[in-house]
Amino acid sequence: MNSEKTLSYFINESEKLVGKKFKKKIRIALLSSYTVNGLKEIVQVKCAEYGISAFIYEGPYNQYSQEILNVNSNFYKFKPDIVFLIIDSRGIFDELYHFPYLKPIDQKKILITEKISEINYLVDFFTKQSNATMIISNLNIPTDSPYGISEQKLDYGLSDMIQEFNSALNFKYKNSEHIAILDFNSFVSKHGEDNIFDPKQYFFGDIRINIKFLPQYGEEIMKFLISFLGLTKKCLVLDLDNTLWGGIVGEDGFNGIKLGPEPPGNVFVEFQKTILSLHQRGIILAINSKNNFDDAMQVIRKHPYMILNENHFSSIKINWNDKVSNIKQIAEELNIGLDSIVFLDDDKVNQEFVKSTLPDVFVPELPEDPSMYSKYLQNLIQFSILKITNEDKQRGKMYSQQKIRNELKISSPDLTTFLKKLNLKITIKKVDEFSLPRVSQLILKTNQFNLTTKRYQESEINLMINDPNFFIGYVNVKDKFGDNGITGVFIIKKESKKIWIIDTFLLSCRVMGRDIEKGMFVYIVNEAKKHNIGQIKSKFIPTQKNKPIEDFLPNCNFKKEDDYWTYMIESELPFPKFLELEV
Amino acid sequence: MKIPESSLIDTMGPESIENWTSFNGYVLLHELETGFDVKFTIDEIMDVTTIADIKRHLKNKGIIFD
Repeated sequence: MNSEKTLSYFINESEKLVGKKFKKKIRIALLSSYTVNGLKEIVQVKCAEYGISAFIYEGPYNQYSQEILNVNSNFYKFKPDIVFLIIDSRGIFDELYHFPYLKPIDQKKILITEKISEINYLVDFFTKQSNATMIISNLNIPTDSPYGISEQKLDYGLSDMIQEFNSALNFKYKNSEHIAILDFNSFVSKHGEDNIFDPKQYFFGDIRINIKFLPQYGEEIMKFLISFLGLTKKCLVLDLDNTLWGGIVGEDGFNGIKLGPEPPGNVFVEFQKTILSLHQRGIILAINSKNNFDDAMQVIRKHPYMILNENHFSSIKINWNDKVSNIKQIAEELNIGLDSIVFLDDDKVNQEFVKSTLPDVFVPELPEDPSMYSKYLQNLIQFSILKITNEDKQRGKMYSQQKIRNELKISSPDLTTFLKKLNLKITIKKVDEFSLPRVSQLILKTNQFNLTTKRYQESEINLMINDPNFFIGYVNVKDKFGDNGITGVFIIKKESKKIWIIDTFLLSCRVMGRDIEKGMFVYIVNEAKKHNIGQIKSKFIPTQKNKPIEDFLPNCNFKKEDDYWTYMIESELPFPKFLELEV
Repeated sequence: MKIPESSLIDTMGPESIENWTSFNGYVLLHELETGFDVKFTIDEIMDVTTIADIKRHLKNKGIIFD
């Protein structure tokens, strides 16, 4: 499976990172109730693989409470962006861990409530001091019980207690912006309790995650960091022959390919189901295959055991062009960056060709054995996302609608005619708690149509929402093909009684090129007029990716003065004719 | 532990090798366990204070160095 390197590898590699700087930076604090030496090096090296410089603070051994409750602790001085609170059942349950039936049930229930309150108290204290995100490990349920097989017949034993603790933790922080849970119990189940817990390491140095599996634990941490930094991939580009089905349709024919309820066809049915489940939570799908179009489409349209159908794919490239050109075209059509793409192909040569030509595309090495494909895909951490928004769930469908929009565009004589035919409606509203997760996601991820590319975490945006010096709005875009959801965000800083400054102005790539941005800006101007504002100022901060927005300010009658571009409120800027505004 | 192989001598241990912390020492033994497919007992681990100690325990398990 995902063969992990050893801890010594990470320790050695981390030394080579000294002095190296990467574009992205993150400050991580590790607070633990037991020895996790080596985790720092693992996370540093893994982060470097993603182009992230990780600055890591390791709290002193088993002093997480002291660190959190002391406002002058080194932990707070470090100013982390994200904190991992690593605790386990032994630490939390103490004596009861070995003697769970020493106390009567009612006392044990009280004890669980107390333990949960202790964690809640720490978390509350922490959130008052820091805007950082905190990831709390839940507790593993041990498989050994002094009662052996009769444990299941007993009321409220250790596993019941831990389950209750975990559920309470989940329930409490389910909707929290700052707090999330790392499911340590599932991590232990996945790798096996006997593998994760090595008594020798435990007695030797209070090591409760076997150092052999510490790199895998590092991988769990990476899932949160990928999501936190907005590095989650958006699109899965798939090969067909020997990837979505076994065999080669051009040679084996419609009836000869392996796809169906019997082995080995069943592995491809399962693999397609895994892909579909990713699509249903928002991953865009595309095809990149060297094949005769008609042969391959016949399978996709007519094969009785195909799980994926034509409508699941937002872009289909079945031709004899090289795979790299096809991927570039897919990215262009879908208006996404190459760094949003994962390319799956069984062929090692294709993998290498894409990897070396398009280094931004993530190309995993599919296992040799297709029966491992499904598990492999499920284990990829590149699609990790902390919170799935409604927009995520709809994304796949929205991109399929985009395919139809593009067809309409080709059939329209000019852009205005096309835009008129779209029946565009935009809704602009102030950001509230419901729209916050999606707004935060856009702020963290939007690269192309982004004026300043400032990144704010959900907690920081929440502070701005409640700050009268800021005005934060989002735009929702609808057209005759469907709802695109929340696709634009602006943050206005009320600099003075006469001047507003655009801090952030962005639009998702899926609605670019429809003058939505002009509609958004005219709305801001009208709001400014209501407040007797004389000027709106903005900076344009160029990046490697935001070329699409470079003409936005001059197109909206802004004039360049020093560092800022200035819009005089009396300039007449009309609202785009083909847009309908709802407020 | 950042020590060139040529300068390693049997009497070296945590006293003379700065990076030989308790944890790094354990990682080294763990690597040897994996590499030679042997297991050290907790007594053997606690007994190790020099390179010679490691060699002695490995010898007891049939791994002999020149």
